[in-house]
Amino acid sequence: MLLSVEKLFKKFGGVVACDNVDWSIGSGETQCIIGPNGAGKSTFFQLLTGRHAADHGRIIFKGGDISRLPPFARANRGIAMKPQTLGVFPELTVEHNMRLTLQRHMSGAALRDAIEARLADLDLAHTLNRQARELSHGQRQWLGLGMAIGSNPDLLLLDEPTAGMSTAETQRTVDLIHRIGATGTAVLVVEHDMAFVRQLAVPTTVFHQGRIFASGTLSDIETNLDVQRLYLGKQGVAKLRN
Amino acid sequence: MRELLNGRIEPGKGPVFWIVGALLVIGMLFLPGLVGRYTLLNFNSFLLMVFLATGLALLWGFCGVLSLGQSAFFGIGGYAYGIVAINLADSPWASLAGVAGGIVAAVVFAALLGWLTFYGHLRGVYVSIVTLVVTLVIESFLNQTAGPQWKIGTAHLGGNNGLGRFSGAAENIPSLTIPTGGGNSLVISGSSPTFYYVLIGLIVFTYLLLRALVNSRFGVALAAVREDPDRAETLGYDIRLLQSMTFCIGAALAAMSGLLYVAWGNFITPSVFGVTANVLPVIWVAVAGRKSLAAAILGAVVLQWGAQQLAISGGEWALIVQGALLVLVVLLLPEGLLSLRQQFSRMRDVRSNSLKSQSRQG
Repeated sequence: MLLSVEKLFKKFGGVVACDNVDWSIGSGETQCIIGPNGAGKSTFFQLLTGRHAADHGRIIFKGGDISRLPPFARANRGIAMKPQTLGVFPELTVEHNMRLTLQRHMSGAALRDAIEARLADLDLAHTLNRQARELSHGQRQWLGLGMAIGSNPDLLLLDEPTAGMSTAETQRTVDLIHRIGATGTAVLVVEHDMAFVRQLAVPTTVFHQGRIFASGTLSDIETNLDVQRLYLGKQGVAKLRN
Repeated sequence: MRELLNGRIEPGKGPVFWIVGALLVIGMLFLPGLVGRYTLLNFNSFLLMVFLATGLALLWGFCGVLSLGQSAFFGIGGYAYGIVAINLADSPWASLAGVAGGIVAAVVFAALLGWLTFYGHLRGVYVSIVTLVVTLVIESFLNQTAGPQWKIGTAHLGGNNGLGRFSGAAENIPSLTIPTGGGNSLVISGSSPTFYYVLIGLIVFTYLLLRALVNSRFGVALAAVREDPDRAETLGYDIRLLQSMTFCIGAALAAMSGLLYVAWGNFITPSVFGVTANVLPVIWVAVAGRKSLAAAILGAVVLQWGAQQLAISGGEWALIVQGALLVLVVLLLPEGLLSLRQQFSRMRDVRSNSLKSQSRQG
């Protein structure tokens, strides 16, 4: 296993946000975590990135326990992430945004070439010298994704990567995630949009009240009546049947 | 190298900027021939504050950390220079040892304070409060060191009379002295043209060095720490280390100003640690534009000169005017006068965009 989580526990005041969760992901694997707001999936995400420290439990990554490491040390071991808030620096130029990711791994002409190549890949080459805040929402999402994968991570964590995207952009994101998975990078997508999860069609874990409620292939989850009733509610069930 | 000097983080760039800057520096070289010794003495005191101002701009404008206690490092640098130089008074190296001592003392103190502050996960206004409190505590402490027991070697701290000619001690703090070999030394007094040229040289050198620093990969990382420290950290940057390092660089620059101030006037008192001494650099940098090193330099010199003109004509009015200036800039131009240009171009964009959308609707 690339990363495995053992009995991970986190409490905020009296609320247990992550209740003895066991979970794992292998190299090159793509997985999804879904759950309604307050299910604990965001907390789980933050425990993996190091933004929050777990009360107890272990996070084993590439054979070492990283659960006490600060976020930057986890990033340098090969865990990249893109937060829900896009993860770009609006006041900096597009070039500097990309440079921030890539300059940790290369320098000089190689760095300049890599920045241009990555931006061309994302269809952002023409925006090189513009401030990131001048980009459209979709373009900023792409830049954020490009920055997250720029370091060639072993594990990529994506928090609601298609929030605010159009249908066409969402489909492109699905394709991109599959392409990233094909390069050997493991991807975890945390999402609440069921339509997107269906498009992605990867093994899925359902969180509910800080616990794993169900897990399996997408069709297991979709046909699981408990999931339909307890998590998705009537509207969710109706959505699924459409 | 060209990229480091003309990169995109520091806003001043392009041929016009460099030509105007070079002409300004060349023009400055003629000043000692045009003005009297008293004017030069004053001007030297403005110029030596430039290091403090650029250090604050680096820390606040480029790294996002507003220190309200830069004068703590200014004072430590000044006191350490005086204490070392007085103790080595017989040696021709006394002054240069004082320079080294001043910078080392300030950096060591900054490393300790930075470690406690940033590794204690303090951010934003809490860093400002801690730095201000530290400098005020040092001021209070030094104010009660009037007794004869408060001495380090042969240097009496002198309470609120300070170190130097008013403390009643036999020794004075030496001016900047450079041994020229054969037992001779070049003594550079605070009112001499040599002091002025040394300052101009040091300012140009420091400016180019800091420019290269902020345009380097370190500078790009600092910009990320300023804009969004959490995101910068998840990209693999050790933000606490970056903040601490910048804090130490800012402290070294403040100490440079402090020790030059002592070498210039041959005295220092605890008032350099006070509220006024800490707020004035913030005003220079905020009014001119904290995100530019060149603006910080101009802000420091022009506002000090302006304040002195006001003080000559009307006592303490100078401080009130400067305080009002700060309030006005914070309310109207949060990025300082430098942002006027960007504001104009943004207004133009908005107008052309609204025209476009009107024509689309029409």
